[in-house]
Amino acid sequence: MELNSLKDAFDRVAKKQKLSFSKTQEVMDLIFQEIEKAIEMMQSTTFDYKSVLAELKKKLHEIAPLSQLEGTQKELNIALSKYPKALEKILNPDISKAYRNIEFDSNTVNQIIASHFYRLGLFDVGDCFINETGEAEAAVAMRSLFQEMYQMLEAMKSRNLEPALKWAAVNSDKLKENGSDLQLKLHHLQFVKILQKGSRDEALKYARTNFAPFAANHMAEIQKLMGCLLYSDRLQDSPYAHLLSPTNWDVVAEELTRQFCNLLGQSYESPLNVTIAAGVQGLPPLLKFMTVMAGKKQEWQSMKQLPVPVELDKEFQFHPIFVCPVSKEQSTDDNPPMLMSCGHVLCKQSINKMSKNSSKSFKCPYCPSDIDATQCRQLNF
Amino acid sequence: MEIDPLPNGSGSVGTTIPEAAATTTAATAALKTTPSSKLSQLTESLKLEHQLLRVPFEHYKKTIRANHRAVEKEVSSVISSVADVADCNEPSKEDAVLNLTSLVSRLQGLKRKLEEGSRTENLQAQRCRARLDHLESVDAENLSEWNNVRLKRILVDYMLRMSYYDTAMKLAESSNIQDLVDIDVFQEAKKVIDALRNQEVGPALAWCVDNKSRLKKSKSKFEFQLRLQEFIELVRAENHMRAILYARRHLAPWGATHLKELQRVMATLAFRSNTGCAKYKVLFEPKQWDFLVDQFKQEFCRLYGMTLEPLLNIYLQAGLSALKTPYCYEDDCTKEDPLSQDSFRKLALPLPYSKQHHSKLVCYITKELMDTENPPQVLPNGYVYSTKALKEMAEKNNGTITCPRTGLVCNYSELVKAYIS
Repeated sequence: MELNSLKDAFDRVAKKQKLSFSKTQEVMDLIFQEIEKAIEMMQSTTFDYKSVLAELKKKLHEIAPLSQLEGTQKELNIALSKYPKALEKILNPDISKAYRNIEFDSNTVNQIIASHFYRLGLFDVGDCFINETGEAEAAVAMRSLFQEMYQMLEAMKSRNLEPALKWAAVNSDKLKENGSDLQLKLHHLQFVKILQKGSRDEALKYARTNFAPFAANHMAEIQKLMGCLLYSDRLQDSPYAHLLSPTNWDVVAEELTRQFCNLLGQSYESPLNVTIAAGVQGLPPLLKFMTVMAGKKQEWQSMKQLPVPVELDKEFQFHPIFVCPVSKEQSTDDNPPMLMSCGHVLCKQSINKMSKNSSKSFKCPYCPSDIDATQCRQLNF
Repeated sequence: MEIDPLPNGSGSVGTTIPEAAATTTAATAALKTTPSSKLSQLTESLKLEHQLLRVPFEHYKKTIRANHRAVEKEVSSVISSVADVADCNEPSKEDAVLNLTSLVSRLQGLKRKLEEGSRTENLQAQRCRARLDHLESVDAENLSEWNNVRLKRILVDYMLRMSYYDTAMKLAESSNIQDLVDIDVFQEAKKVIDALRNQEVGPALAWCVDNKSRLKKSKSKFEFQLRLQEFIELVRAENHMRAILYARRHLAPWGATHLKELQRVMATLAFRSNTGCAKYKVLFEPKQWDFLVDQFKQEFCRLYGMTLEPLLNIYLQAGLSALKTPYCYEDDCTKEDPLSQDSFRKLALPLPYSKQHHSKLVCYITKELMDTENPPQVLPNGYVYSTKALKEMAEKNNGTITCPRTGLVCNYSELVKAYIS
């Protein structure tokens, strides 16, 4: 982007402002000096004070301070008016052009915001927000839910695994159900931590009591960990040095967050985060459309579907969308996607049209196969 | 862990390795593989940041102008004072010296003020620069952190507009983004809004005087509305003579452009505050003051080049529309979708659905996109899942597949590939 030209335009403003400032100072110093000089002259007896005054008046008139300032001021003004014009040209001056004029219920929005703060662990900010808005009480439930998680994560930051291990033990069945080996991963960290302290016996004891239940599914990993025991006093120079990397802790902390949210029935990402990120991607094509369709503001306010496709990255794709390649319409319950014998998929309505309501066979639009409409199968994505 | 060679070709081994990586690295990998589209997406998103650059600049400009006006005023008054002393018929020498000395100290004061003003200007210039630098600083490595900051900026903007100043400040401080938000600009608004909430128009009128030329340019009638309200308050207090004087002085100048409203308000002299006539009754209602607050906020935002709506609402709307599909409102909507939550569903209700020109199929089991590398396969009952999910299932269960939605059991060999274009 042309950020550099913006920077240049701004530098010009700043430069002219400095110039204008030093010019003002200069002019003021000049006046200052003249008056001081006059006072000095008046106080000595050699000069007639009246003529000194008249002289001063004349001098100041000649200096014409205001017109001296005019020049630099004019240059400054030009720079000042150019910068916002550059902003308007390079950036989008009004991103509310694609805004539909509906009132968002502020209580709902505030609730979303308060929950967002709590799930990010910004408890102070969240409390302050609820206090100030005097609503969004519903979000308080989120606070107590996520407090537990952040206590575990905070403890992990100071390399204390006790709270996390306790939580994982309580929820071990549910974790297993989700196919998560979080519990083993936590034991793994704890084991390495003990080993790092140099107590091989203690580590071995820990392994015996805690690794056994995971032996069935995670033999390889456990074997690797047992291998560490050989190098207990020089782990950093051993083939197992990577086990000491602090990123292991970050990975487990992420997994803990993921599993915790999962068990709470919450999403891993903050939903507000996801929505705003989608908005940032969705807004540019909508604004472009509004510029083209400047005259049809009315329609925009009542449309049931966006007039232009908004392509989002795949992390925003939560549902399967099937668009019929023939009719370009999205599939619905009444117009489901159908699999043809060749493996290509069209919507039911398109197949009906091409087969004249199943009265004749037709050619697949994508390959040379002949299709019998009655042989098509409905798909469920 | 050992990666089993997959049955249908050697090329697929290469593709499974990046997919096994953690999601965070997957995101950066995607950045690297499609740099041009990501880059243009980033550029497009930066173009949305007009307000970020505009507001501190308007503030800066305002300070420059005010400082300059102050200097001009003082300098010309000093010069005319000198002329006064010189032109005086019989000034005693002592008086003249005294006068000039006082002018000297006045100039010294002005100089101090000028320096102080210049310091403020420099601080504001720095802020403008900090924002340009912030926009420039974004790249593939720090993108997610940068995006987090953007959301915080958007939230602070929302809170400032909604007058939740404490939280706004707390969030800005704790995230160290003070240079990227406009708390000081809104302090100016806070004074006016607080006063209007206390039913005082003084600060609002002073604000109108400060920004007279720009309000006139945008044909604002905010001052007129303030004057009308003051008039109404005089009528309410049954101070009729003063009300009439007030109207002559402050309302009459607006007659040329807003005669209808002026006449309507004048009629309250006859109807009084306890009137039952609906047309005039509303003028005495306290919610008129709320209306003035809203009006002020609009004028204020316009003056500083802000959007009239909070940024949060604008992005939320666009995001909700882009995410909204008919499936979002079904019971089995995945919880990763914001629209699975009641609060988000409620906000999205009056918004349009998204539109797609191309199929985007997400596997029910893995929630991953099904494309040519991970093509969809059809079970005998017509249910479709990704090759990856089905292969994994088959490997674990000796080649049998169980449909997670219907319970149908079939063999991996019974699957048919579907081609989606």
